[in-house]
Amino acid sequence: MTDAFITAPGKDGRSSDLTTLLPSGEKRARLRKWRYFKDGVSRYGVGAGGIGVVFALGLIFVYLFYEVFPLLVPADVSVESSYQLPGDADANTLFLTLERYQELGVRFSDRGIATFFETGDGRIRNQVAMPIPEGVAVTSFAHGEARQRLIAYGLSDGSAIVGRHAYDLSYPDDMRYIAPKVEFPLGDEPVMVDPQGRALTQIALQDGPQGYVIAALTEDNRLLMSRVRSTTNLFTGAVDVRRDSFQLPSPPGNTRQILVSGDHRSVFVADDLGQLHYYDISVPANARLADSGRVVPEGHQITAMDFLVGTLSIIVGGSDGSVSQWFLVRDEQNRHHLTLVREFEPHAAPITAIATELARKGFYVGDASGVLGIHYATSHRTLLKRHLTDGPIRGIGLSPVNRAMLIEDDSGRLLHMNLRNPHPQASLQALWGRVWYEGRSEKDYIWQSSGATDDFEPKFSLIPVTLGTLKAAFFAMLFATPLAIMGAIYTAYFMQRHLRTVVKPTVEIMEALPTVILGFLAGLWLAPFIESHLPAVFSILILMPLAMLVAGFAWTRMPMVVRQYVPLGMEILVLVPVILLVAWLSIAASPLVEVMFFDGSMRQWLTEVGITYDQRNALVVGIAMGFAVIPTIFSIAEDAVFNVPKHLTQGSLALGATPWQTVVGVVLPTASPGIFAAVMMGFGRAVGETMIVLMATGNSPVINFNIFEGMRTLSANIAVELTETAVGSTHYRILFFSALVLLILTFVVNTAAEIIRQRLRQRYSNL
Amino acid sequence: MDGMTTMTEQNTMTHGVTAGLFENSERKRLRLADETIALEVQNLNLYYGDAQALKSISMKVAAKRVTAFIGPSGCGKSTLLRCFNRMNDLVDACRIDGRILLEGADIYERKVDVAELRRRVGMVFQKPNPFPKSIYENVAYGLRLQGVRDRKVLDEVVERSLRSAALWDEVKDRLHQNAFGLSGGQQQRLVIARAIAIEPEVILLDEPASALDPISTAKIEELIYELKEDYTILIVTHNMQQAARVSDYTAYMYLGEMIEYGDTMTLFTNPKKKATEDYITGRYG
Repeated sequence: MTDAFITAPGKDGRSSDLTTLLPSGEKRARLRKWRYFKDGVSRYGVGAGGIGVVFALGLIFVYLFYEVFPLLVPADVSVESSYQLPGDADANTLFLTLERYQELGVRFSDRGIATFFETGDGRIRNQVAMPIPEGVAVTSFAHGEARQRLIAYGLSDGSAIVGRHAYDLSYPDDMRYIAPKVEFPLGDEPVMVDPQGRALTQIALQDGPQGYVIAALTEDNRLLMSRVRSTTNLFTGAVDVRRDSFQLPSPPGNTRQILVSGDHRSVFVADDLGQLHYYDISVPANARLADSGRVVPEGHQITAMDFLVGTLSIIVGGSDGSVSQWFLVRDEQNRHHLTLVREFEPHAAPITAIATELARKGFYVGDASGVLGIHYATSHRTLLKRHLTDGPIRGIGLSPVNRAMLIEDDSGRLLHMNLRNPHPQASLQALWGRVWYEGRSEKDYIWQSSGATDDFEPKFSLIPVTLGTLKAAFFAMLFATPLAIMGAIYTAYFMQRHLRTVVKPTVEIMEALPTVILGFLAGLWLAPFIESHLPAVFSILILMPLAMLVAGFAWTRMPMVVRQYVPLGMEILVLVPVILLVAWLSIAASPLVEVMFFDGSMRQWLTEVGITYDQRNALVVGIAMGFAVIPTIFSIAEDAVFNVPKHLTQGSLALGATPWQTVVGVVLPTASPGIFAAVMMGFGRAVGETMIVLMATGNSPVINFNIFEGMRTLSANIAVELTETAVGSTHYRILFFSALVLLILTFVVNTAAEIIRQRLRQRYSNL
Repeated sequence: MDGMTTMTEQNTMTHGVTAGLFENSERKRLRLADETIALEVQNLNLYYGDAQALKSISMKVAAKRVTAFIGPSGCGKSTLLRCFNRMNDLVDACRIDGRILLEGADIYERKVDVAELRRRVGMVFQKPNPFPKSIYENVAYGLRLQGVRDRKVLDEVVERSLRSAALWDEVKDRLHQNAFGLSGGQQQRLVIARAIAIEPEVILLDEPASALDPISTAKIEELIYELKEDYTILIVTHNMQQAARVSDYTAYMYLGEMIEYGDTMTLFTNPKKKATEDYITGRYG
């Protein structure tokens, strides 16, 4: 039976008396093959298309993750080579560092000799002896910030030599050749710090806007400060040095180290009892000891100490192995206090050496058991801890670009290390937590990725931009959701069929409106307009719905004679003049209202009552982005309402429900998953929207929910900053990470909406 | 296998069964003149756009009786039924002239509250249409529309309605589960319970059993038999056996006209019109 059916008609006896009109069996067999082929092609074609879409989406994830991944790679060091301390081997090393090509290292010894050597094998390239007068000994040493390349020797006659290690580049035979040298910016002669000529047992040095500042402690415990300004005569090359000297109150206890800040406002003195003393020298003549505090536990000592770049924070290492960050925090009385900001993962042995990075807030710590620790201040991370040598680490020299370092061990050898530490700034805490940034009085969430100065501390909190995104989306939804849903209900359930077939596509076409136009209008027209017509915004908000209700009520009371002029279902058109009238009235009355109730300007009045008002604010964004979101919500919600089966609404009406009761009792509950999905879709759209927020928010990454203030969103942040960041930098990768966050956010929202939509479809198929 | 033969057999059978129904019944002949009249249709014409769907229908419907409308598809019987609770108002292009009197008052008067009319004239549709709510809420829905908030009242009405619809024993333990969990027949009885919860005077049944299996159909028919104690029932059906079994009066409609209307027994055993006889004996078409 089946076979006969498939092969050909006419062969079985059934229809032998009828002439078949179907094509011959052969022809149909060929056609069948062709049909199967088309079937297969379309099946695999559609399948491939679908998989391709998923694959493309997957690739976006993969790419973003690929860009973000380096943030997760841990820091690493490896020994490249090791050699005897180059030159002047029996003298003690005071300071080790590298030049920016990492080809040469320099070692300053306590005999006043600077030895420049090749980092690869320790061959000496140049040795410079400081111009120390005969019969005078080196009694102390200091170095300035790494980027200044300054060093100072304190001498036994109360004078000091200030030098700078410098490198001349030349390219003989097209090969780079670095000729190292030591310059003396204050001249070859030692600078007199103590006119009484006593030995300088401690010295500190910094270059700053007011010239060089040298702070020194004499052997008879006088704390002296000199400000030295040098001018070089362009014609003669002669160096003219001018000097102011001050004496500070003598520090209590035995001083171990002095630091002076680059802004020439503070001097820090560490004593041998684990205390740090802070001198306020902003008015040098009135310099005073402003604060003292213990920075290591009782019974322990400060064994190493240095400024982080910017000379705001001090990293203190203790004999107990503790590592902590301190800076001055201002209290309500405008007084500064030395405050413990962070404690880092402690070492097991006393800290012996601290080296700080040139351009970042990272630092390297060596301890007495030969363990190297790599820490980062802002992100509060300990990136690496590794045992490198037996015995204490005597010194650490860092390259300005953080790719190589020198370690001096206890046996008089140098380890030349390769260093990989590209992204210490990113951590969960730095991106999402409250971080205590330098100079701030408390922890905060801040996004501020770049600053005017080199020693700027980048602030990468994603909280302000994430909350900004949610704020923008929230106000957009506040504006769009009621309008879109009400519109959807009206269009789907009450509107006349003909009108609906016009209205629905029209609203949907709104979605195709380029958002840059909306953003442009919002930023350049709407924002100033709202600013100057604030009362109109509020009166429209209140009067418009009221006027519509009143108009609707009045319409039902109209005599039939009037009503029959408007075709059934087109009553909505009656509202158009009402809407226009209310809008015009509100705008026209706005200046009057301002004069009568707000002293002429509501914006000014708001500022006076303490409400910050930005011209580009959440209200503007809410309206502009609301316009962009309305079509999305409207379209899906309208479908949901319209697809509520007719037999349900009829069932409700047949039970004596009014149309409104039917909407509330049956239509909305049944369509609610669809409406919810619509809102989620709209929310997803609002979260990802870029151009409108870019142009109408003001882009200030502040955290608040004030409708009159702006915000910066994740998407706008990426748009603004990605073009300005260095490819491959931490900032660049964090921007990609925020893109990943944004993608996940919209992906989750849209997936949830889609799942609900699928469920809804299943539910409808049961009805 | 042979379609023609089957059709004929079925129709003969139908005729046989309906005939048998009356031969063995003790039902006495009813006369419309003796009845209280619940509804009266006066010269009703209905147009969908330019097409006329009902042509000058006039009839009286007896109170607390079952009146059946039979006729081939498209004859206007459902349309007529929907006139009684003004469901046709929902169709944009629908236009009506003529009058329908419910207890003497024209339901197409302008000042008639349609919602209240529909409370008085309940309706059950062909396909069971419970709301996506619990069984309890389905029945309570109509009461809530009428502003009943008192839980005790609601409980009582829900139970009474479900009992009247012969559904109480089957669902009393799962009142708060989704109504979609019920079988088709149960759903249809739920919808009937929902309709009678708001104490209508008339119940319109639009092919209430056509989507159901024979057992469920039998239950619905029993239910109709019980409900006519309290309600005036109008039923549209395709199934002539059903019309013969459940109704007291039957109207045969064809192409928007009411061909014959009378008590069921007479109409089935002794139709006056040839068209009616052709239809009920299966010679129609």
